[in-house]
Amino acid sequence: MDSHAVIKTWVVSYTDGLYLRACTAVSDKAIAEDLVQETFIAAFQSFDKFRSESSPQTWLFAILNNKINDHYRSKQKASIVSKDTTFFGYFFDEHGHWRESECPKEWSDADLHLLDNSEFKNTLQKCRGNLPGHWDMVLQLKYIDQRDGKEICQDLNISPSNFWQLMHRAKLQLRKCLELHWFNK
Amino acid sequence: MKRLVNILMLSCQKATELIEKEQYFGLSTLEKLRLRVHLTICDFCTRYKQQSRFLHDVLGHHSHDHATNVNESLKEKIINQIENL
Repeated sequence: MDSHAVIKTWVVSYTDGLYLRACTAVSDKAIAEDLVQETFIAAFQSFDKFRSESSPQTWLFAILNNKINDHYRSKQKASIVSKDTTFFGYFFDEHGHWRESECPKEWSDADLHLLDNSEFKNTLQKCRGNLPGHWDMVLQLKYIDQRDGKEICQDLNISPSNFWQLMHRAKLQLRKCLELHWFNK
Repeated sequence: MKRLVNILMLSCQKATELIEKEQYFGLSTLEKLRLRVHLTICDFCTRYKQQSRFLHDVLGHHSHDHATNVNESLKEKIINQIENL
């Protein structure tokens, strides 16, 4: 196989894992996609340096980790859970009570049969697309593999409190988006 | 008495955080009690809890398709780019 063909099979096999790693390292889906893309391009360009006795996965992850380090070298590392209070300030007042405009409203017809409705699925998809990359990634890790919270914390190297705080933010934003664009349209 | 009230009182921000924590890690006895007290007096957080539960179920069913879509389009993009190198 020529290098084009080999890299193509790698793209098919290893993109999921690399993208997951990139998303947990940077907090932006677009940047994570770029990093994965650059990883494969770098792998293609230095293909002759790849030793077939080592695993492509290890090699690709090493390239990606270098890309991630480069990315942070120019930027100060952002914490996976930022401490900004403006996010919560949108939903809650200074005493931590729901702001009047943000009080959860009644959702009629909130039932799992909505998943058969392609319009609802589109809305959900769009709302998830609006979440910061690492928030959505935590949702994915949790819900695709139905994995245990503790395991995910280990993988992402975050504390349990970081994990449920991320979930808290993601859920608040997701429920607001669905309320605006679906339940209270 | 005032101290007891303070221990039991939760803000809605904290209550919704505990609702999420409960789903993934469970709560301590004190946290359970504080949340229960809050939910008996707060309709909005009670509603939040039901909706959070609903989102939990929806996400469980939806995530797989979602991840597949995102990654498939990324793969396609990368393959196209490499073909042009």
